Amino acid sequence: MKRSITESLVANTESLEWECRRCQHTLGPVAENYKKGCLIAQRDPKEIWEPLIEGVLNFSYDATWSRIVEFYCPGCGALLEVEMLPPGHPLTHDIELDLTMFTDENSADRSSKDSAQ
Amino acid sequence: MSLDQTSLDGPEIPEYMRVRPIEISTATMVQWLKPEPVGEAERSWVEQLEPGDYEIYDEKLKNILDEAREIFVRSGVTNLLTAGDLIVAIYTANGDLANASAGTYLHCVTGCLPVKYVMHKYYSDPTVRVEAGDIFYTNEARYGGIHNPDQMAFMPVFHEGELIAWTAALAHQPETGAIEPGGMPILARSRSDEGMKLTPIKIGQDYRIKRDLLDMMVNFIDRSPRMQEIDTRARVTGADRLRVRVQELAVAKGNDFVRGLLRKLVLEAEESARRRIARWNDGTYRAVAFADTIGREPALVRGMLTATKRHDSIHMDFSGTSPENDSSYNAFPHIVAAHAAIFLFAYPFHDLPASNGTLAPFEWDIPEGSVLNAAPNAAISNSPPLCCIVMTSVTLALSKMMFDSEDRDKIGAPNGNMGSEIIFSGTSQHEMPYADLDGCTLNTEGQGARPDMDGVNAYGFPWAHAGRAPDAEFYEDEYPFLRLFYHLRRDSGGFGKWQGGLGTETAIAPRHVPTMFWSSIGKSTHISVASGLFGGYPSSASPGIWVSGTDLWEKMNRGDQDLPEDAVSVAADRALQGEYLLEHLTRLTRIGYSGDLIVQLAAGGGGYGDVLERDPDLVLNDLKNGQISSWTAKEVYQIRYEEDSLILDETATEETRDSARQTRLKRGKPWDEFISEWSKLSPNPEALKYFGTWPEGVAETPVVRI
Repeated sequence: MKRSITESLVANTESLEWECRRCQHTLGPVAENYKKGCLIAQRDPKEIWEPLIEGVLNFSYDATWSRIVEFYCPGCGALLEVEMLPPGHPLTHDIELDLTMFTDENSADRSSKDSAQ
Repeated sequence: MSLDQTSLDGPEIPEYMRVRPIEISTATMVQWLKPEPVGEAERSWVEQLEPGDYEIYDEKLKNILDEAREIFVRSGVTNLLTAGDLIVAIYTANGDLANASAGTYLHCVTGCLPVKYVMHKYYSDPTVRVEAGDIFYTNEARYGGIHNPDQMAFMPVFHEGELIAWTAALAHQPETGAIEPGGMPILARSRSDEGMKLTPIKIGQDYRIKRDLLDMMVNFIDRSPRMQEIDTRARVTGADRLRVRVQELAVAKGNDFVRGLLRKLVLEAEESARRRIARWNDGTYRAVAFADTIGREPALVRGMLTATKRHDSIHMDFSGTSPENDSSYNAFPHIVAAHAAIFLFAYPFHDLPASNGTLAPFEWDIPEGSVLNAAPNAAISNSPPLCCIVMTSVTLALSKMMFDSEDRDKIGAPNGNMGSEIIFSGTSQHEMPYADLDGCTLNTEGQGARPDMDGVNAYGFPWAHAGRAPDAEFYEDEYPFLRLFYHLRRDSGGFGKWQGGLGTETAIAPRHVPTMFWSSIGKSTHISVASGLFGGYPSSASPGIWVSGTDLWEKMNRGDQDLPEDAVSVAADRALQGEYLLEHLTRLTRIGYSGDLIVQLAAGGGGYGDVLERDPDLVLNDLKNGQISSWTAKEVYQIRYEEDSLILDETATEETRDSARQTRLKRGKPWDEFISEWSKLSPNPEALKYFGTWPEGVAETPVVRI
């Protein structure tokens, strides 16, 4: 069974692997941070918001204060998550599922199949 | 530090009126957010309700609350009150919030705590007591309130000699007699700088406000005494209208019915909230959010949330949040809970009673010494702007918790969460003293994008979702300035598969008077607090612009056609003569002279999902409507179209987007390689002045307040 945990991430409750929702590429164990299975890039905010005038305050963000960190699916290049962080700030382990709900679910599935047989 | 260890809950107080004793301190007031235990009598009143009673009279209470809110709004004068930044509420006899008509959900938390304080401290005190016709008043965070502009009138409801309920009306007052005008002094360094702070006091008896106490308040607020007097009366009027209606209900149905109904609302709220939480995935969800100011100077302030959900309860741990500082950008734990309530009541629990019962499943763990649990003598008048870090982190963590459930339609990316406002004061063209703030940008930030739709443009005020932007002309009538422009702001919504709603931008120029004092509040100049969700981008950057010594009036008198029409054209074209200053959106109080141009921006909402997944036709529509620029359409959304006709080139767009995905794969690095390079970086040292150690955020020096 597959559960959509976010807009872009699926948890396979049998293999207990993260998968990209777009291409089903696996991103590592659900017990781990899915970001460890991503390709990661930091970008200057000026690549996302065009500077409209000269100077530091130019309607884009100052890269000495903040960067855009992007997490890509290594299979298809989908953008799975974005963080705006000060340069060097630790990345956020944002989702840590309680896996007992999957093991309970699998046991329930197995016992329901056993009953059917 | 304990402020008061006294407990007077003696045996003479009936069980249904008792408040469980807690240590009264700024760090512990949040404990009163939990509903009081239900005694035998109260349980029997709940059980005596007949089938249909709850459904019918819950609805009747809502109508009563809405009526009292309307009376409140029509009786007041300051613009945050008329815009809807308020609440009218009804409580059980021991201070649990049964329901409210809320322009802002903040006060679903900060309203019930002062009621509990009065019942706990004064009910049995022979020098105070609680009697029919009493009118209480407070604006003090130490006793459960929020920042001191938020003033609350509350009244006990008696019938046949028994206390059956409390009513309250609370709204923001834009002046407090602090060291700066506007009620939210940017330069305050301790509570002594923040002006009038009233502990819960009795300002009226026999249903009449005492003139001497009203004069005392007005005396504190001498920058705008008329507003203080009118709005104090408006609060009392709102609370009293509610009091009358509840008494009428008691006459019709009896005291036990009213008490049973109010308690059932609290119980139902908790049970419903727990049922809903139980269907979300168990786990630990983390989020981080940054503000870029402590008011008097730009600085990074981090909010860090670890939300652990087990079955039907959620533990909210804010460890890792930045240390407290000696500005007015500090808060107390119940203020944090109040800012979490803004998301909770508007999204996952929008259909449940606005009761503290709804918040009962939440436990709060907020480290002392952090900016969210500061010392009792801390200045906290800018706690709401600071708590944007709470609003964003709660929205992110709970949206991730809820996505894989039937409540997916109740999530979204963070709203603008900027609280953008110009504050102004002086003597008006009508020769009246005034101190107020501009509700136009404040009430028109963008909504965060949703799982199935774009965020609403200029949706409202993230602190008070139902807030309405006043008419621009109202200000020109009342206050001494001209509004040069006020409209949606291009490219301000976070980009994504679904785009964050746009914020607005405005420019005002003092006129009719030689000078006007002004300052401004805002953020997201250096880092955005309106984060994206699931691959969406945050909202765009928001600098403050001030042009002094302009020739604006001369150009208008000549009928010049090149007057600036938006913030970018002010800064880029420089059609006005004068001195240009671009700075952080939070600006210290200064003198504005006739014709100076003050530009203020409101943030858009966060984006949702991968930009390359956005329907190209929607991108093109945004371009045609002026909501995004051609640069954004091409460089961010990666669509291709004919420049003249704006007709989409589907094939080229598909190829360009495929190519963009390939570029990402080349640009991206595996975890270990990325972390190895990334962890060597650190921000501009100017940003870290109040952050604590980098990157842990541990306090390096004690905070000294005089």
